[in-house]
Amino acid sequence: MFAVLIDQFWSLTIAGIALGFIYVLISLGYTMVYGVLRMINFANSEIFMWGTFGTVITSRDIFHYTQTSEPAKGAKLVLVLVTSLLMSMLVAGLTAVFVEFVAYRRLRMKGTNRLATLISAIGISIALQEIMRLLTHSRPVGAPRILEKIILTEVWGANIRLDTVITIIAAALIFFILERFIKLSRMGKAIRAVSMNEDAAKLMGVNLNRVITTTFLVGGLATGAAGFFYITVFEYTKFNIGFTMGMAAFTAAVLGGIGNIRGAFFGGLSLGLLEVYASAVLGTQWKAVTVFIVLVLVLLFKPNGLFGEAVQTTRA
Amino acid sequence: MNKKIQRSLAVASAATLIFGVSAVSSAGAAQKTVYLAFQAPLTGPNALTGQDELTGAKFALSEYNATNPTVKVELVLADDQGDPTVAGSLAPGIASNKTIIGLIGPAYSGATQASLPAYKAGGLAMISMSATRVSLTDKKAPVNGFPIFKRVVANDKFQGPALVRYATKGVTSPKVYLVDDISAYGAGLADYAKKTITAAMSAGKDSVPVNTSDYTSVVAKVKASGANVVIYCGYAPDAAKFVKALRDGGYTGVFASGDGTLKADFPVNAGKAAAEGARLTAADVPFENLATAAQMVAYTKLTGIKVPGTYVTSTYNATNIFLTCIKQGSITRPGIQNCITNGTFKGIAGDTIKFDRYGDIIGGAAVGAFTIKDGKIVYGGVA
Repeated sequence: MFAVLIDQFWSLTIAGIALGFIYVLISLGYTMVYGVLRMINFANSEIFMWGTFGTVITSRDIFHYTQTSEPAKGAKLVLVLVTSLLMSMLVAGLTAVFVEFVAYRRLRMKGTNRLATLISAIGISIALQEIMRLLTHSRPVGAPRILEKIILTEVWGANIRLDTVITIIAAALIFFILERFIKLSRMGKAIRAVSMNEDAAKLMGVNLNRVITTTFLVGGLATGAAGFFYITVFEYTKFNIGFTMGMAAFTAAVLGGIGNIRGAFFGGLSLGLLEVYASAVLGTQWKAVTVFIVLVLVLLFKPNGLFGEAVQTTRA
Repeated sequence: MNKKIQRSLAVASAATLIFGVSAVSSAGAAQKTVYLAFQAPLTGPNALTGQDELTGAKFALSEYNATNPTVKVELVLADDQGDPTVAGSLAPGIASNKTIIGLIGPAYSGATQASLPAYKAGGLAMISMSATRVSLTDKKAPVNGFPIFKRVVANDKFQGPALVRYATKGVTSPKVYLVDDISAYGAGLADYAKKTITAAMSAGKDSVPVNTSDYTSVVAKVKASGANVVIYCGYAPDAAKFVKALRDGGYTGVFASGDGTLKADFPVNAGKAAAEGARLTAADVPFENLATAAQMVAYTKLTGIKVPGTYVTSTYNATNIFLTCIKQGSITRPGIQNCITNGTFKGIAGDTIKFDRYGDIIGGAAVGAFTIKDGKIVYGGVA
């Protein structure tokens, strides 16, 4: 039973970390919005899905790569990858801001209760998914291979592949930048101020609407970056991939303590590793079961997640 | 909520369709027009299957109408979205419309099972082109289709062993790793495949839910098991991700899969390199391999499609069985039922079609074998 785990431990670990970082970035989208609005942004999974299409459109329609073309090399490779990343972040960021305007702001202005925005968020997520379904004729979309999956080196019998290395390094970097932004920048401080006490922040002259829009934007950018890494590693997307990935990332956010950015980081990584190990040891059909058993156990002993909910303590 | 709206819309549109049809038929009863229902997913996520199949039915009908028959035949489209719930609420409407004398379909097994009670009560003969669930024609099953259900497609009982046979063909000392997607289709096919895999041949088994993104751990297991044949029982989108992960992980053996994977999308999404050499079986043989050149020209002219999709052959055959019976003068439900049960028919390849008591073709429908060459699905005979 454990033979596979022992035999393939390092390949599994590296794959788990790469998957974990994708979860980290998506769960930032959930956790940031929750930190500020105390509401789950149910449309985040679809923002992620739209983000994946940002990369596909860039490589397929802007740079005209096809399923049969050779992977890019040298400067062209860097150009295509960076453009794809920015495009995914842009698409997801704009989608997130759009979601905020349509599903949140108007209702907030009218002073409706929180449940109303919860429903409108679910509504817009269905709309986003259906629009993409119609645009893609319900078909899965394979992304052309831009980055050749070269095996860089072998460490303890595990192949270290270029795409996983890039995913781990770049995702960690993006996470670090966003974390610094929230911790140090003026806007970041305003976000944290609103998160701690909305009324007091308003009295101090913080522009609430701008803070909320920025929060959605930053969450969207992180989620979009996750979309790019997802395509780079798995080279596949479909109108309904948001659900499974969103569910996993949401679980990661809760595991780490929703509203807490560091919690999203450790929650995402542990979830990625847990999923990969559980599928290797117990069989892939037991993956979700294991993950949720662990989640229940963690919440049983630490109801606010591993790092605590950020109600009073959003300190990035 | 979304699904519910879709469902109620589908039901509403089907109802309009049926009532519309009955109005038309009472006006034109003197011209002797009979109706055949065509039930398949025509909208929704599974629409592709139904739309592909529909071209086969339309083409068979156009050939029939070109002979200026005394009885005119028209299709009534019933869109069940491949969803048992939709099918269950749609079937009573069709069953109660007495101008409909036969039903081509349903396309999906779950939808078939949900529709059966209404059609049995209405005595409506049905010939499915793609419902492969074994229990539908199993006399011991609690819900089978006897006596009205027939099918012109090989069920999974035939396809499972054929898949193993084809996957291990030419492989010296094959070690088979079997993976299914836990769907009713995938797990079912895997069960029948498993029965033909001997203990010495078996390298292991795993189940990966539909829509999984990350196949790393399955790849790790395949590699650790030393398998040289991987058989995947599931659908094309997941098969594409899986074969890609296998090849990227360094697996060099055979990759084989069943009719769920036999979609033009599969080599496209998997990429040329990863899909190359994949072995696929289908409960159907491609239409273009059986149709004459003249038929292909006419087909393309009628439908605008150059390469027919899956199950066009079986739909064409199913439709022609009804048309043969109508030509012979069976234009009532009992008449059609009697004709189909006792008659002997010809398939497009000149093959003889005669149904056994429980609705399968005697001797089993052919299981086609395919490989992927240069990103294209190439037919390679019968598996």
